[in-house]
Amino acid sequence: MRFHRCATPLLMALWLTGCAAQDATQPSLYTQLGGMQTIDRVVENMLYRVADDPEVVVFFANTNIDHFAEAFATQLCDISDGPCQYEGPPMDRAHQHMGINDAHFNRVVEYLADAMAEEGVPLAAQNELLGRLAPLYDDVMRLQ
Amino acid sequence: MSTFIPKATANGMRLLIIALGLSISSSSLAGSRLIGTGGVGAIEGAAGGGLSPWAVLTSTASEQEFGATATVSRAWLDDYRLTVEAASANIYDRVELSAARQTLDLETLGGELEQTIVGAKVRLFGDVLYHPWGIWSAGVQHKNLADDSTPKALGAEHGQGNDVYLSASKLVFNAVAGRNLLLNATLRNTNANQGGLLGFGGDNGGREWVAEGSLGLFLTPKWVVGMEYRQKPDRLSAAREDDWQSLYSAYFFNKHVSLTAAWLSLGDIAGLPSQNGAYASLQATF
Repeated sequence: MRFHRCATPLLMALWLTGCAAQDATQPSLYTQLGGMQTIDRVVENMLYRVADDPEVVVFFANTNIDHFAEAFATQLCDISDGPCQYEGPPMDRAHQHMGINDAHFNRVVEYLADAMAEEGVPLAAQNELLGRLAPLYDDVMRLQ
Repeated sequence: MSTFIPKATANGMRLLIIALGLSISSSSLAGSRLIGTGGVGAIEGAAGGGLSPWAVLTSTASEQEFGATATVSRAWLDDYRLTVEAASANIYDRVELSAARQTLDLETLGGELEQTIVGAKVRLFGDVLYHPWGIWSAGVQHKNLADDSTPKALGAEHGQGNDVYLSASKLVFNAVAGRNLLLNATLRNTNANQGGLLGFGGDNGGREWVAEGSLGLFLTPKWVVGMEYRQKPDRLSAAREDDWQSLYSAYFFNKHVSLTAAWLSLGDIAGLPSQNGAYASLQATF
C-alpha cells in the first residue's frame, strides 16, 4: 500500500514527461542535423574522405559521384524524417557482388561520423543518425 | 632507477615504450572499426573494461586485418598492490589471443603472489554496432600461479585452473541524453579464488557459474564512463571473498593510445576487510 502512495505520483510524473518528450515540440532529426544544407555538406565532406582512401574509392570507380551524392543526401534526409523520399534502388541490390567486407563498411561509417563532427552536427543528432543507419549493415552485406 | 621500481613494472614500462613507439610509427595501420569498439585491456588480458571481459575483440582490427595491444595496469588497494602487464592480438576480428602476468604485492601481510594467464576469445556472431543482438563471443582463460604454497595453505585445491565464459556486448545509439550506451554481460564458469591469485577450488566447493556486467556511457566518441560488477565464487572458508565493483573512465586519445582510471571496491581479500582503491591502465594499440 505504501508503494502505491509513493509510486502513483511518480508514475504520473514520468508519464507526463514521457508525453512531453514525444510531442511535436521535439524537432525532427532532420532539423537537429541542420536540414538539407548541412546534410549536403556532410555528404561532400564524407566523399572527400572516401576519395583519399584507395581501398574504398575503388567501389566508386563506375559511379557518377554527383548523382551518388544527391541520392545519398536524399536517403539521409528521408531516414531523418525530412521532406524527401528516397526512390533509389534498395541497399542490397545497390551493393550486390561488390566485394564489400566489414573493414570497408566500418571505414565508410567512420568517414560519415567524422564528416558529421567536422560539419558541426550536434553529438545527439550524430548518434541518432548512426543508430538509424546501423540496421542497413544487413542489407548492404546480404548480397556480397 | 631499478632499485626504486620493481622488476615487473620496469619490464612493463619497457614493453609499453616499445609498443608506443611502434604504434606511432605505424599510424596508418590502424584497424577499420570505430574508435573505442575494442574496449580497453581488462586485468586478465582480454579486451573488456577493467574487471571483466567484453564480447568485443581487442584493437580496432576488422575483417582481413590484424591488431595488437600492450597494456600496463596497476591497482592501489588498502593492503595490496596489483600490477598487470598484458598483450593481446586480434586476428580478422574473429579470434583474440591474450597473455597477462598479474603480480599482487601483499603490502600488509608481506610477500607477493604472481600468476600468468593465457586467453583466447572467439567472436561467435554479430557486431557491437550493427547487429540487433550485438556481438557474442566465447572465451577461455588458463591461469597458472607461480607459487601456490600460500593459496594452498589457505585451503585452495589447485595452483592452476581454467575459466570459460560467454559474453555479449551491444551499443545502444542515442540512449541517454543523446549519448551512446554500451551494455555488456558475461557468464563465467570458474573455480578461481580472487581471480586465481588465491588458487583454485577450496573447502567450500569447486566450479560454479558467475555473472559479470557493465555499463558504459560514451560522453563523446572518445570518452566512456561507467561501472562494472563481477560476481565471484567464495570457496575458501579461511579467506572469504566478495564480488568486485568499479566505477571507471576510459579515454581514447586516438586508435593507438587509451588511458583508463577507475575506483575499485573489491571487498575482503585474504582475510583483510573491504579493499578499496584506485586503478590506472595505459594501453597501446598497433
